[in-house]
Amino acid sequence: MWGSDLVALRPEFYHVLESPFTGEKTVCVRALVPDYAVIHVQECDVYGNARILGPSYQDALLARAARKTIITTERLVGTYRLREEPKLTAVPHFLVEAVVLAPGGARPGICYPEYQQVDDAGMKAYLRAVKDGTLEQYLAAGEGRE
Amino acid sequence: MVEKVMSMTSAAKLVKDGMMLALGGNALHRSPVAFSRELARQGRRGLAAVGAAPGLATDLLCAAGAVDTVYFGFFGFENEYGLAAGFRKGCQEGRIQAIEGS
Repeated sequence: MWGSDLVALRPEFYHVLESPFTGEKTVCVRALVPDYAVIHVQECDVYGNARILGPSYQDALLARAARKTIITTERLVGTYRLREEPKLTAVPHFLVEAVVLAPGGARPGICYPEYQQVDDAGMKAYLRAVKDGTLEQYLAAGEGRE
Repeated sequence: MVEKVMSMTSAAKLVKDGMMLALGGNALHRSPVAFSRELARQGRRGLAAVGAAPGLATDLLCAAGAVDTVYFGFFGFENEYGLAAGFRKGCQEGRIQAIEGS
């Protein structure tokens, strides 16, 4: 954080302390604790052991920072599949409160390798609904859903 | 281990008005959009959203008026889809407090 104006601008988040061990000045950042992390994955078992294929971004951290996690998944897979490669489990079952089967759940965005291109028509429909203030009708119509 | 499979409707009902949510993925990648659609349909209000690069799912909640505070590093769709339209509109109308932290 050194060099960032945010340290001075947001005293509710950042605080400079001296290290009790070395006396070195250290920036402390206040933690946010989300009530829920909601993560869309490619594979999950019925207990909430979830596997992310491709980049996981901050998702494993979000699940650990939040009080509980909700998983939406492209596929439900057998637990034996996850046991074959336990290190590939990004979110373990004990962090998870709900598992929802939701194929296409990231559309009109991308979910590698299930769908690897943005659904251009779906994105344009969404952006148009935002611009025109017609989101309610957009949601009611279920546009962009499979 | 306990079985936790439920419907989208039931899972979205776990989230109450005023809660803080961290929606996963990044911009248009692996964003939990179907979950956000259901939450918006249920008319949730007063949510806070947090993410390093929140994506479409968070933007949809902003556009639906479900979110009033966003903690973020970067918030946009990239490429030809530009900035996060719902978030931007909410900020411009003074409905959303943007707390940038990077």
